[in-house]
Amino acid sequence: MSTVWKRWIPAAVAGVVVAGAAVAVPLSAGATAGLPGKSPQEVLALVAGSSVTAFSGTVEQTSDLGLPTLPSGTGSGSGSASHSGGATSGGTSGSEGSAGTAAAASSALDLLTGTHTARVYVDGTTGSGNLRVQVLDQLAERDVIKQGDTLWLYDSGKQTAVHATTSATADAVPTGPEQTATPQQLAAKFLDAASSTTDVSVGGDVTVAGRSAYDLVLTPQSGSTLVGAVSIAVDSATGLPLRVEVTAAGASDPAFSSSFTSLDLSTPPADLFSFTPPAGTTVTEKTVEKPSAPSGDATAPAHSASDAAKPIVTGTGWSSIVELPAGSDSSALTSSPLLAQLTTPVSGGHLLSTTLLNVFVADDGRVFAGSVSAEALEAAAAQ
Amino acid sequence: MSHSDEADSPTASGARVTQPLTRRPTAGWALMGSELAVLFRRRRTWVMLLALALIPVLVAVAVRISSAGSSGRGPAFIDQISQNGLFVALVALTICIPLFLPLTVGVVAGDTIAGEANLGTLRYLLVSPVGRVRLLVVKFVAAMAFCLAATVVVVLAGVLIGAALFQVGPVTLLSGDTIGVGQAGLRALLIAGYVTVSLLGLTAIGLFVSTLTDIPVGAMAATVVISIVSQVLDSLPQLDALHPWLFSHYWLDFADLLRQPIEWSSFGSNALLQLGYVAVFGALAYGRFASKDVLS
Amino acid sequence: MPDGGLAIQTRGLTKVFGRQTVVNGIDLSVPRGSVFGFLGPNGSGKTTSIRMLLGLASATSGEISVLGQQMPKRAGTVLPRVGALIEGPGFYPFLSGTANLRRLDSADRFAQSSTRTVRVGEALERVGLTHAAGKKVRAYSLGMKQRLGIANALLTPRELIVLDEPTNGLDPQGTREVRNLVRSLTASGTTVFVSSHLLAEIEQMCTHAAVMRSGHLVAQGSLDELRQAGQARVRVLTPDPGAARRVLAQLGLAADADASDTHPLDGETVTAPLDAGQDGDGAIGPGTLADRPLDPEHIVAALVAGGVRVRGFAVERATLEDLFVALTGEGFDVAQ
Repeated sequence: MSTVWKRWIPAAVAGVVVAGAAVAVPLSAGATAGLPGKSPQEVLALVAGSSVTAFSGTVEQTSDLGLPTLPSGTGSGSGSASHSGGATSGGTSGSEGSAGTAAAASSALDLLTGTHTARVYVDGTTGSGNLRVQVLDQLAERDVIKQGDTLWLYDSGKQTAVHATTSATADAVPTGPEQTATPQQLAAKFLDAASSTTDVSVGGDVTVAGRSAYDLVLTPQSGSTLVGAVSIAVDSATGLPLRVEVTAAGASDPAFSSSFTSLDLSTPPADLFSFTPPAGTTVTEKTVEKPSAPSGDATAPAHSASDAAKPIVTGTGWSSIVELPAGSDSSALTSSPLLAQLTTPVSGGHLLSTTLLNVFVADDGRVFAGSVSAEALEAAAAQ
Repeated sequence: MSHSDEADSPTASGARVTQPLTRRPTAGWALMGSELAVLFRRRRTWVMLLALALIPVLVAVAVRISSAGSSGRGPAFIDQISQNGLFVALVALTICIPLFLPLTVGVVAGDTIAGEANLGTLRYLLVSPVGRVRLLVVKFVAAMAFCLAATVVVVLAGVLIGAALFQVGPVTLLSGDTIGVGQAGLRALLIAGYVTVSLLGLTAIGLFVSTLTDIPVGAMAATVVISIVSQVLDSLPQLDALHPWLFSHYWLDFADLLRQPIEWSSFGSNALLQLGYVAVFGALAYGRFASKDVLS
Repeated sequence: MPDGGLAIQTRGLTKVFGRQTVVNGIDLSVPRGSVFGFLGPNGSGKTTSIRMLLGLASATSGEISVLGQQMPKRAGTVLPRVGALIEGPGFYPFLSGTANLRRLDSADRFAQSSTRTVRVGEALERVGLTHAAGKKVRAYSLGMKQRLGIANALLTPRELIVLDEPTNGLDPQGTREVRNLVRSLTASGTTVFVSSHLLAEIEQMCTHAAVMRSGHLVAQGSLDELRQAGQARVRVLTPDPGAARRVLAQLGLAADADASDTHPLDGETVTAPLDAGQDGDGAIGPGTLADRPLDPEHIVAALVAGGVRVRGFAVERATLEDLFVALTGEGFDVAQ
C-alpha cells in the first residue's frame, strides 16, 4: 500500500516548490546588501553627485491613502465625463469647463489609488533632454513624451492627445501621467525639504530593482503633520534614487510608494522620444502663458487649480497649509458627484480625508489642504 | 518494460506455446494523433469553435450597422474598429477572455478523463494498455491544442471579418505608435500565443477536476465556476495580496504586447504562473488518477 | 509465487470498499489453455475481481499474477498480451466501429500501426460486423456493441482473453457464435477467462470453472471435478431391503434409514452415499470414485453374492446445476 502515498509525492513536491518560490523571491528582494556604512550627508552627496543622465526602467507606484478604490477605467477614459470638445484642436488655456476639471480630478485620483505601473525612459544627454513616461493601464496606456521643447500627452483609451511647446510645459498641464513621478524627481523634492524641520538618518541596506541601495529616512520633527516618515532608497553605485516610500504617522506600512522594479542604465533608443499622434486622435493644442509663480521644480505635483487662483501658504515645513481662494474650479470640485462620494460633510464644509493629506472644502468655496489634521484645516478656515 | 521479464514467463503447459512479447513498444504518437482526431472530429468541438468565431462576426456587424461613431463606451478598442478592421480581433478577444474562452476550455478540460469514464472507454484504454501517466499527458496536450485552436479561431475570424467589413491599414498601438500590417500580424500571433498560455492553468485545473468524477458535466461546470471565482477574487481590492497568484490575473494583460516597445514582463510572469498551475494541478491529477480505482 | 503453468493466479485476493468486503481472499488458479468459467450470481464479486486482475482497481490485499507476471506492477508488459471485454462494451458513440477499434488499438504501444487497418478489418470480420464497420456506434444495437467489444479483445494475438458476461444482449444465434469463437481461440492456444451468471453458458463452453458467492470462491476445478463434487449415491431397487443394507454396510456404505421409496412390485429402493472426496477447505481435490476399489460392479457383485435380489441399480451424481444452486443459493436473490 506504500505505492498509494507515493503517487502524491509529485503533487507535494510541486506544491512545496511553488510555495518556496513564493516565499523565497520576496525574501531575496529584501535581503541586505552589506554595503559600507555611510552618513546621511554622504548619501545626500551621493545623490547630488549622481551623474546618471540616461536610463530606462519600470516604476511601480502603490498608494494606500485610505481613499475608496475607484472603479477601474474612471481615470482612463471610458467614463461618462469625456474630455473637452470633439474639435481637432483649439482648446485654450483656462477655458476648460467644470466637466473637464472633474475628469481631470478623477484622473488624478485614479493615479493616487491602487497600484500603477509605468515605464520611464530618460535621455538627458541631448539638448534640453528627452523623457517618455508610459503609464501601463489595463488594455490602455497614458503617455508623456517630452522631446526637447515639444511635449505630447497621449491617452489611448480616450484617443486624445495634448500637444504643447516651449519651456513652460511641465507646469501648464493640469494633470496627467506625470503624477506618477520617478523616484529621482520625488527624492529631489524631499531632499529640498530636508532642513531644520527634519531628522535625516540612514536605515539598513535595501535591495531595489535588484540593486543594493542605501535607505535615507526623513522623519518630520513636527508632531502635527500626518507624515510619519519618508524613506528614499539611493542606489549605492550611481546615487540614483530608486524608491520613495511615505509612511503615515503611527503606521507601519507605507501609504505611498514609488519604486523601480527594473532599471537599465543604457541610453534608450532615440525613436522612443519622437511622437506623431496616430490617425483618429483628437489633438488639443496648448498655448500657455508662462506661469507667474516660480515653480522652481519642474516636477512639482500639479494640481487641478486653474492658474487664476493664487494659492496662499500658511505654516511652515511639514505642517504647512495651502489655501486656494474660492473660484469656479473649486465649486466644480464640490459639485462633482465623484468627489461628493469621497468627501464627508463636516461643519462649515466638506472634508476629503486620507492618511497623508487632508483637504477641506469650505462652504464658501475656499479649499484648504495640508499634511495636517482635519481640525487644523478647519481652524485655518475659521481664521 | 525490460524484456528480461520474459525469461521467467515459461512456455509451459505442454504443447501450448505462449508467444513472448518481443516487439519493442512504439513511441506512442499514434495515440496523440488519435486523441486529436477524436477531439477535433467531434461535433461538440466544432460547435464551440463556431460559436467563438461568431463573436468577432457579431462585434463587426454591430459596429458596422450602428456606425454611430465613437461613443467612448463599450469594450476597449471598439472605437478603433471603424478605422481599422484588424481591431475586431482584439475586441473579440477582450470579450471572449473572461467568459467564452474559459467556458469552452472548461468543457474540453473537464471532459478529458471524466468523459472517457462516462462513455466506458476509460477502462478499455487502460487495459489496452495506455498507461495512466501517458493518458494524462496526451489528454493535457490535446486540451492545450484546443486552447490554441480556440484563440486562433477568434483572432482569425476577427481579422477576416474586419478585413471584409472595414478598411485595413497600419495599426495604432497603445503607446500611440503606428506599425504596419505585417508587424501587426506578427503581434496578433504573439497575442494568440499569450492567450493560449493564459489558459493552460485553467486546463490543468480542469484535468485534475476531471479525475475526481465520472460525470463530465460536473467536471466541466466545476472548472468554469473556478475560472469565474478566480476572476471575481481578482476584482476584489481587499484581496490584493492574493491577486498575483490567481491564474486569471494576467488574462487581459495581453495588451502589453501592443505597447511600443513590447512589455514582456507580463508575458513572463504569466507563463511562469501558468507553469506553476500546470505543475501543481498536473501533479495532483497524477496523484489522483494513478491510484484511482476505475469502476466506471 | 507466479506459476508459469497458470494464466491467472491469485493468492488471498481481497477488495474492500468502505466497510463492505466485495472480494474476500480468493485463490484463483486458471490453467493455461483452459476455457475458464467464472460463475456466480450478480453482485458476487466477479467483475471487481476481473478489474483487479486487469489493474483497473487496486487490491486491498493479496497477490495477483497474470501470464506469470505480477499485476499491477507489470501491467505495461502483461496487458498487451491480454484482450478484455469488461462489464459491457464502452465505445465513442460518435465514431464508427472501425474508428473506435483503431483508437483503442493506438493506445497499445505494442500494437503495430502498419498492420492496424488489416487487423481491425479482421477483428470486425471475426465477429461478423464487417457490414456495419463504417456506421457510427451510436446506431449499433446492444448485441452489435457487444460484438464490437469482443472484436476489440481480438485486435492482436492474445495469450489471455478475459470476457466478462460476453453473451449479454446477444440473441441465441449470437450466443452460439460467441461459443464457436471461444472454441476457435482455445484451438490456437489462447486461455479464455469467461465470467457469467448463467450456468448453462459455462457448461457449454468451459473446461474449468470457479464459483463465486458473496465475495468468496466456493468451488474451483475442472468441470468433471466439479460434477463429482456433488455426492454420488448408490441406488438399489430390491425386494430385500434388509439384506441389501447389511451388504452395503459390510462394504462400508451407510445406507439411508428412511429415504427409501416403496414400490409395490419391486420392493424398496435403498440408497447410500458414496464417499465423495471433498477435502477440508471446500475445494475439490483429486481422488474420487474412479480411484477406489468400490466400483459399481463390485457393489453389485457383493449384493448378488449376499443373496440380494437386485432389480435395479444406479450410481447417481449431482448435476452441475444442483451444485451451483447448492453453492450459491436459489432464486433471483442477488447475493448479499
